[in-house]
Amino acid sequence: MVTAAGLVTVGVRAGDAPPGAAGVPPSSSVTASAGATTSAGATAAPPSRPVPPRRPGVGTRPRELTTGPVLPTSAPVRLDIPTLRVSTGLIGLGLQPDGTMEVPGDAATAGWYTAAPTPGSLGPAVVAAHVNLDGRPGVFTALATLRPGDTVEVARADGTVAVFAITTVQRHPKDRFPTEAVYGAIDHAGLRLITCGGDFDTARRSYRDNVVAFARLVRTERR
Amino acid sequence: MRLRTMAAVAPMLAFPLVFAAPAAAQESVQIQLDALNKSGVSGTATMTAQDNGDLTVTINARGLVPNAPHAQHIHGAANGTDFMCPDQSADKDGDGFVNTEEGLPDYGDIFVSLTTSGDTSKKSGLAVDRMPKADANGTVTYRRTIKAAELPAGTVKFLKDLHIVQHGIDVNDNDKYDLEGLGESTFAKSLGVSGIPEEATNPASCGMVSGAAAGSMPAGGVETGDGSTEPGGQPVLVILGGLAAAAAGVVLRRRPRTDS
Repeated sequence: MVTAAGLVTVGVRAGDAPPGAAGVPPSSSVTASAGATTSAGATAAPPSRPVPPRRPGVGTRPRELTTGPVLPTSAPVRLDIPTLRVSTGLIGLGLQPDGTMEVPGDAATAGWYTAAPTPGSLGPAVVAAHVNLDGRPGVFTALATLRPGDTVEVARADGTVAVFAITTVQRHPKDRFPTEAVYGAIDHAGLRLITCGGDFDTARRSYRDNVVAFARLVRTERR
Repeated sequence: MRLRTMAAVAPMLAFPLVFAAPAAAQESVQIQLDALNKSGVSGTATMTAQDNGDLTVTINARGLVPNAPHAQHIHGAANGTDFMCPDQSADKDGDGFVNTEEGLPDYGDIFVSLTTSGDTSKKSGLAVDRMPKADANGTVTYRRTIKAAELPAGTVKFLKDLHIVQHGIDVNDNDKYDLEGLGESTFAKSLGVSGIPEEATNPASCGMVSGAAAGSMPAGGVETGDGSTEPGGQPVLVILGGLAAAAAGVVLRRRPRTDS
């Protein structure tokens, strides 16, 4: 048996692991699916440049467990949705005291949820904006018209632009919000765009539904 | 709460319940632990970045040597290098086992030592008296929140580049680490400690990032409109829960909080 004596806090040499050693891939963007298939069966537009093949399995080497391109963590600064003519800055959104998500204070601004992965990095990034507010159409007034394959571009603080393709657009009653599908663990770099929709409950001054557009990262640009 | 709109405030005024501000986490990274050296170990781990910079690590692994301590570490670097778990081809000396020295080029140096108490730096890499011990069934269940000040710089930013490695195998099946199995640990010896079985220091599992989630799940839906205009365009939607949507009005009155 190992005895604790003599083993406690044994120093380990630094520099045991040279970066770039044989077998270490140059980046985590190893695989990219050729277009995201939606739950509704529609297929997103394929990436505009060649997709690197999935790294061939070498011996028993563990395969990459994530799918598609992923970027390092970097805060988003701007959102563009060309088909909706949306181009807006992004503010940070946290949680309100009752546990619901904060929302932007005006119709023209979108916000990203700061307690979730940043857009382009692994996991579900979340952006919310109003469908309307104070008599003005909101940034996401036409979110429900997005179609699978439409692109969404998020410019990030590190100078990269994460380009996503819409995979599916859904509407859910707010009291049956798909929390796990929106915020839960995923194996790719995803994006969820959220606004209100459905019937307006005049008594409660609130829309009964949320519209959620799901997207996944297809490529990265640098501007 | 400068961002909160009147529309969002209204329901709270109507139902003036006071909630404590929820503890928030930035994001949670999932790790899948797979066997190394035919150990039969499998499991999952999570690393959750808390808002205050702390890191909460949970590990649930089975198939480890029962009643034995298992050194475990976060490996990798906070410089953008994406290390991978090694496979059997990392066995450079051809003895049939990927030992710690042979694995390091793949999974990187010790980044954080996942001890049960006290120091978590690289210096505690082999502090087996503070490493979790597998139960009689060979299961390790671990949970610890490591303070921000004790984490290497860049831990949260590069969380998704990191890996978890557990050590300790039993190749001669006698339920203990002994010199009869694989001889003396060359790794421990290189650090100046003699007489440690290679079984104790050889990797048993290596975990790579398999997914990520929000660190904190908001309650219910999002209040993003006040009905003051007609939404633009003609919606093309996959409408789910059609009957539920019809019943939503009733449900909303019963459960007002989820609507705010």
